[in-house]
Amino acid sequence: MIIRTELEPSRRVVHLVGRFDAHEAPVFRDVVHPLLTAEFTVLHIDLAQVAFVDSTALSELVRLQKAARAVNGEVILVDVSDPVRVILEITELAPLFTIEQTSAESL
Amino acid sequence: MTEVGSAYRAYRAWVTEPLTPPPVVSVVIPAYNEEWRILPTIGAIATHMSARGEPWELIIADDGSTDATISLVRDLRFANLRLLVAEENRGKGNAVRRGMCAARGKLVLFADADQSTPIEQFDRLAALIDAGFDVVAGSRAAQGATVSGKSLTRRVLSRGLRAVVSRGFGITVTDTQCGFKLFTKDAAQELFSTQLVNGFSFDLEVLYLARHLGYRVAEVPVEWIDAPGSTVDAAKVSMQFLRDLLRIRLNRVLGRYRRARPSERFGA
Repeated sequence: MIIRTELEPSRRVVHLVGRFDAHEAPVFRDVVHPLLTAEFTVLHIDLAQVAFVDSTALSELVRLQKAARAVNGEVILVDVSDPVRVILEITELAPLFTIEQTSAESL
Repeated sequence: MTEVGSAYRAYRAWVTEPLTPPPVVSVVIPAYNEEWRILPTIGAIATHMSARGEPWELIIADDGSTDATISLVRDLRFANLRLLVAEENRGKGNAVRRGMCAARGKLVLFADADQSTPIEQFDRLAALIDAGFDVVAGSRAAQGATVSGKSLTRRVLSRGLRAVVSRGFGITVTDTQCGFKLFTKDAAQELFSTQLVNGFSFDLEVLYLARHLGYRVAEVPVEWIDAPGSTVDAAKVSMQFLRDLLRIRLNRVLGRYRRARPSERFGA
């Protein structure tokens, strides 16, 4: 999986590309979790190009959300691909996240 | 949630509207204590197969799970998902057999519950059925396959077993054990109502029978990603595989494959 980060003055966006599974979870944790800071409490995760997330990946997203909530922030999932949307629904994890459809230009 | 894509809409229709025509495709997933992996796999498969636009059904063939696998699947209440519950664990071969014999589709795929071969690979296999083959085996060994995360031990053992299978059984498929195979309905019904092995070697047995029964078999390179958390002991499974090789030969010599099992022919 490719992880690309955009660190803008006003917000932080993480673009993921590929399959997000247990193999990728340690790197995701190392790269993405530190982006949550006292100054930046909201993270946008772009999932437009992720075709599959396994249970370990889901638990990483939940862990990240808990960390964000702990600093009064949140994780916003952006442009969620159809298969990931379905997986979030049937695992009943969708309500834990704000899910936004955003044009690519605005990211 | 906001705007959704066409695949999602097709998935919602598949979830809520029971098929009126018979399915064109059946997907069979054997499952033994898969509570950690089964829902993401179902989600990925349901989205892709629904997006293809053909009527299809999903069959989860439980293998005596003692965790929450059965309740997780049952609680989905999908209109076109069937759950075959087994009272006891009898092996992957047994679970796949029950699923394949219960399938109603003109094409029948069995796919492992860990999504190690992404469901998107289905389309490549289906193209070869359209070209006239009866059985199409996904392969991690054929030229063009991409394999990620497979340990050195598993690679060495696989290579050794491949040599034994090729020389001992005359099977030209280089990867008999990849958990992603597509069959025509007729081939699936005959092969799985004839095969006898309940364990991991059932794939080999099915390909062996396919060869002897004159089915056209093709092999397609697939993308394969090792699923972490597998509880399969490669060395132990390899020893069992060798024992099963001998058993399959013996079954053939003793004529046991002539006795099909009509009770299982059309499913549980």
